[in-house]
Order: sequence, then C-alpha cells, then structure tokens
Amino acid sequence: MRSIRQRPGRFLATLLSAFLGAGIIMTFNSLHDTAGQPGVDPVSSETLSTAAGVVGGYGTLLVFFAIASTLTVNVRQRAAEMELLRCSGATPAQIKRMVVGEAVAVALVGAALAVGPAMLGGRALLAMFHDSGQVARSVEYSFGTVACLTGFGITLLAATGAAFLAVRRATAGGRRRRGRARTVWAYAALVAGAVAVSSTFAFSATDAALMAPPAQGAILLSVGCALRAPRLLSAVLDRLPLGGASGWLAVRNLRERAGQLAGILMSLIMFTAVATATLTMQAVESDAVAASGAVKSVDAKNLETLNVTVVGIIVVFVCVMLVNSLYAATSYREREFGQQRLAGATPGQVLGTVWAEGLVLTVTGVCFGTLAALAGIVPFTLVRTDRVLPGQMLPVWLAVVAVAAAVTLGTALATARRVLRTPAVRAVAPAA
Amino acid sequence: MLRTGPRRQQDPEPAAEALRLVKVTKTYGSADSAVTALDGVTLGLGHGTFTAVMGPSGSGKSTLLQCAAGLDRPDSGIVRVDGTELTGGGEAELTKFRRGRIGFVFQQYNLLETLTVAQNTVLPLKLAGRRVERRRVREVLTSLGLGDRLGHRPGQLSGGQRQRVAIARALVAEPRVIFADEPTGALDSRSARDVLGLLRQSVRVHGRTVVMVTHDPVAASYADTVLFLADGRLAGRLDAPTADAVAERLAHLGDDLPAGV
Repeated sequence: MRSIRQRPGRFLATLLSAFLGAGIIMTFNSLHDTAGQPGVDPVSSETLSTAAGVVGGYGTLLVFFAIASTLTVNVRQRAAEMELLRCSGATPAQIKRMVVGEAVAVALVGAALAVGPAMLGGRALLAMFHDSGQVARSVEYSFGTVACLTGFGITLLAATGAAFLAVRRATAGGRRRRGRARTVWAYAALVAGAVAVSSTFAFSATDAALMAPPAQGAILLSVGCALRAPRLLSAVLDRLPLGGASGWLAVRNLRERAGQLAGILMSLIMFTAVATATLTMQAVESDAVAASGAVKSVDAKNLETLNVTVVGIIVVFVCVMLVNSLYAATSYREREFGQQRLAGATPGQVLGTVWAEGLVLTVTGVCFGTLAALAGIVPFTLVRTDRVLPGQMLPVWLAVVAVAAAVTLGTALATARRVLRTPAVRAVAPAA
Repeated sequence: MLRTGPRRQQDPEPAAEALRLVKVTKTYGSADSAVTALDGVTLGLGHGTFTAVMGPSGSGKSTLLQCAAGLDRPDSGIVRVDGTELTGGGEAELTKFRRGRIGFVFQQYNLLETLTVAQNTVLPLKLAGRRVERRRVREVLTSLGLGDRLGHRPGQLSGGQRQRVAIARALVAEPRVIFADEPTGALDSRSARDVLGLLRQSVRVHGRTVVMVTHDPVAASYADTVLFLADGRLAGRLDAPTADAVAERLAHLGDDLPAGV
C-alpha cells in the first residue's frame, strides 16, 4: 500500500480505466436492477433488460480487456522495481502479493468512485427511455445488487487476473514459453469470436438482441488479433521501406517490443472494430426500420438517438482507453529517449521515431480492426437486410480511421514532446 | 589506421587543443537557494591526452563534464571543443555539435535495450547520417573482445561487456574528445581494469583524447594527468599519478582552501 501512496501518478492510468470501466458497467447493469423491481410492467422490463443485456454485455467484455491491458502495461513498467525488491530479499510470493494487492486496492477505489457517476448515468439513461416512451413513466430508477456486483466483480476480476499474470511473467525472470499460453488464448478468443459471430444467424431479422452477438464477436476477434499481432507485426516490419535514422530505429524498436505493444494494439484494434461495427450496425438498423415502411414517428427518431447515444458512450470509452494506454506507454520511455539523445539523436529525430512507430501501429491496428469489424458487420447485414456489405460502412469507417490515426499519433507525439523537456542527462539518471 | 569514410560535420584542421574551457561558471537554483557548481574554471587539454577529473561528491565534476561535453550550457565562460566554440542554441544544435566531435561513456552504459551490440555501436553514425562501414565496426568490436557478441542484446551481456560496447560506440564515430563519466562505477575490479586499459589504449594507440570523471584513485591512476576539483574550482594537478599519490592528495584536498564558498 505504501508504494501507492508514494507515487499516486503511476497508478492514475489504472485508476482511470478502473473508474471509467466500472462506471460503464454499473450504468448499464443498473438497468437490470431497475427492470427487476416489483411492479414493473413487462414491456418496460423487457426494454430495460434488452438494453442492459446487449450493450451491457459487450460493454462488460470491453471493460474487462481495457482494464487488463492498462494494468499489464503498468506492471511491466515496474519490472526494474520488482527486480530490486527481489534482490533485497522479497520472495516471488511477496512481490506477487504486493502487486496483486495494489491492483485490488486501485480497482476497489476506482469502482467505488464510479458508483456516483454510474447512478447519475443510469438515471439519465432511464430518463431517455422514459422520453422515448419505451419505458413507462411510473418506473423508478434503482441502483442495486446486480449493478454493484457486476461493477465491482468485473473490475476486480480483470485487475487481479491481469496483475497476477503480469507479475508472474515479470518475476519468472526468463522469457521462456511466454508464446505458448498467448497463442492458446489468441486462438480461444478467435474461436469464441467466430462462434459469437456465427450465432448471429440463429436470430431473426427483427430480434431486438440481434446486435449483441456480432458486436461481442467483433470484440473477441479483435482481442484474438491483438494477441497474434506481434507475430504479424514483425512480418509487416520486414517489408517496410522506412527511410532515415528515425525509421531505422522505429523498425528495430517495434520488432523488439512487439510483445509489449500488444496492449496498445489491442486498444487500437478494439477501437476500430467496435466503433466501425456498432456504428455501422446502428446505421443499418435505423435504415432498415425506415425502409420497412413504418412512418418515421417521433418515437422512432427518439429510439434512434438513444441507440446512437448508447453506442457513442462505448466508443468514447474505448477511445479514452486508447489514449490512456498510449500515454502510459510513451511517458514510460523517458529513459530510452534520453539514451537516444545522448547517442546523438536530435529531439526531431526522436519525435520522428515516435511518429514512424505510431504510423506502423495505426496501420496494423486499423487493418486488423477492420477485419474484426467486417466479421461482425457482414453476418448482421446478411440477417437484417439480405445484403453483404452495407453502404453505410464506408463513411463510418473513414471517420473511425481518421479518429484512430489522429488519436494515436496525437497522443504519442504530444506525450513524447512533453517527455523530451527533461534534459537528456537527467532522463537517463537512475530513478532516485 | 582508423581514418575512414567521409567526415561530415567535423572541422577540417585539428586545432591546437582538443578541449578548452575559459572561466566557465554554472549555478543551479535561483536567488537564496543558488548553488555554484562551477566557479570560473579555466583549463586546456591537448590532443591525445588522458585526463582524469577528481574531487569529492558535490565538487562539480559532473557539471564540468556536462558543460564541457555540450550536454548543458554554462552560465558564462567559453567552451571550445577542437577549436570550435560551443555556442547557444536549442537542443538540436547542441546535439549536432556533439555528435560530430564528442563521444560518451557513461556509468550506466546507456545502451538501447532494443538494439543489438552491432546496432548500438553504429547508432550515432546512423543518427548523424554518416556512412556505416560494417567491416570497421566489426574490427573495433573484435579488438574490444566482442567479436562473438555482435548479435547479442545489452541485457544478455555482463557489465564489463556492456561498457566495452559503449566504448566501441564512442570509438566508431571517431570523436575528437571522449568523455567518460564514472565509467567503472558499476563494474567489478577486473572488468574495471579492462575498461580502463581500453580507454588508455584508445589514447595511446588510436590517438583519441579522453576526459574521465571519477572518484576512484585507482581509476585515476590510469590517466596521464589528474585534475582535482573542489567546490567548483580547480584545486591542483598531478602528472603521472599513482593510486596512492591520488588518494593522498584527495584526502587533503579541502585543507588549503578557505572554509565556506
């Protein structure tokens, strides 16, 4: 615990992801609580449960991976500290207890902080349902056991699990057989994603929950891709014609750190996949409703706004996570940048390296994210409209890619620029 | 024997002195909490010399090295490396000034973990846009006993080996002056002897100029000359030093100075 109090800044990234993640989960899952109250009419109850189930379902999945990836980055950055502890007599079990204990503490604080905002968020969601007429006005908001259990449970599970795995990797010393488990997980995620996507076909075109399986499938597929990404990344790198000293350095950095970049790639792939998939599916859904002949009533319009809002929340969350993990990863490289500068790199060359790395990451992430998104979108459109590729996808995709590129390069460069303000000599000095 | 490739960003004719400092002053902090790290230091070092700078902690030796090597700018005074004056400017200009003229060897090695031994060695050349002659790089690394380690990463090497890579990196760029900051501070005594011997060899055989900051009398005894620094001022000089003579001088360094600064 003392190590948290000494350096609150280090834990800010983890805290932020735990806070946002728990907030999202509790916001949506409190709708379950609301629906479960006695005296709620069946229509209202069903609307609430569907919303909580569909969005809450893939939201939970997202949050889980987001927290896990941030925490992995955090633990890995403390490898030197753990090595020091190990040298000064801490047993691996003690270190494990310390890191996992910290993760639990941060997750608990994050989740506890999120309760208030989640209640407000849930209330706002319910108000929107009231306004759209999908839920009877008489239904009161309730924040109860389901919201609390899932919010705290998922956050804790993700934090503990990630901390445990990361610290085991860090204390194991060698880098033996790390590829094995990763490969297994990658294929498990890919298979699960494929199953989820295929199960879309089991639904009928007008099913309210039709969006859930492809969205979850797209997320799982992006996780699988992210886990496989290091291997594919190095394949891409071998064929890359990046010129200049910055490019040379970037290619070598990326190849060597490919394994560590999986966390950032996961955020990037998930952002591309989730944003493209959900926004496109929502657009297809709206157009399908419109095409079915029903006059676009005020209610339908409300419904559309509501759905877009909900999807928007999730997309913004993933975007924040992307910024978060990129910031954490880049600010950690202060020492490395210092060493490059002492070896004769101008600040411009360091930024050039960061830029080249960001570009390669963006392209890789967008490619795999698009694949995962397509895997979710195609079954959905097939079932919903009997077409293969929706026309709505292109503008959505272009916007998503633009945002992904801007966010990735912007965060990396802005952070690097800030880090470069420290004089090189001080940057390489061993941490006091 | 080491003269190969085009020498860009370097001065055509060697100047009389490799390093010249004139009344260099550096103060840290401001107003009442100001600490004078360097107080009007003037010195000149010839080509092909091996100089050790010694002094107790806080005597300003690291500041001296940073100012002389263009890592930091002095508040006042002149720094000339190989006849060219180090002038103001942004970090980019300082970097460009340094990479043509100055090589570094640090206590913490400062090798990039993501690069192999060979890649680390050629990094300064790559960054400066200079031509890399693989054969020569291999020659230098082999002469430092690293011929079979070219593809290793720094993490797979011992401290002594890492420091030898750092020396190779400094030598390959053919700098006018090599600055070594406590190069043996993190090494066991045998590796330390190897590293010091290599630094001396680079002076004797290859004609480099080496300036080494250290607090270890044994390390200093490898140099041709020892300069003593106390409270930011030069406090003596010892030619052809032995470890005992250096330790003796160091122990009485404060005696003949006025108390306080």
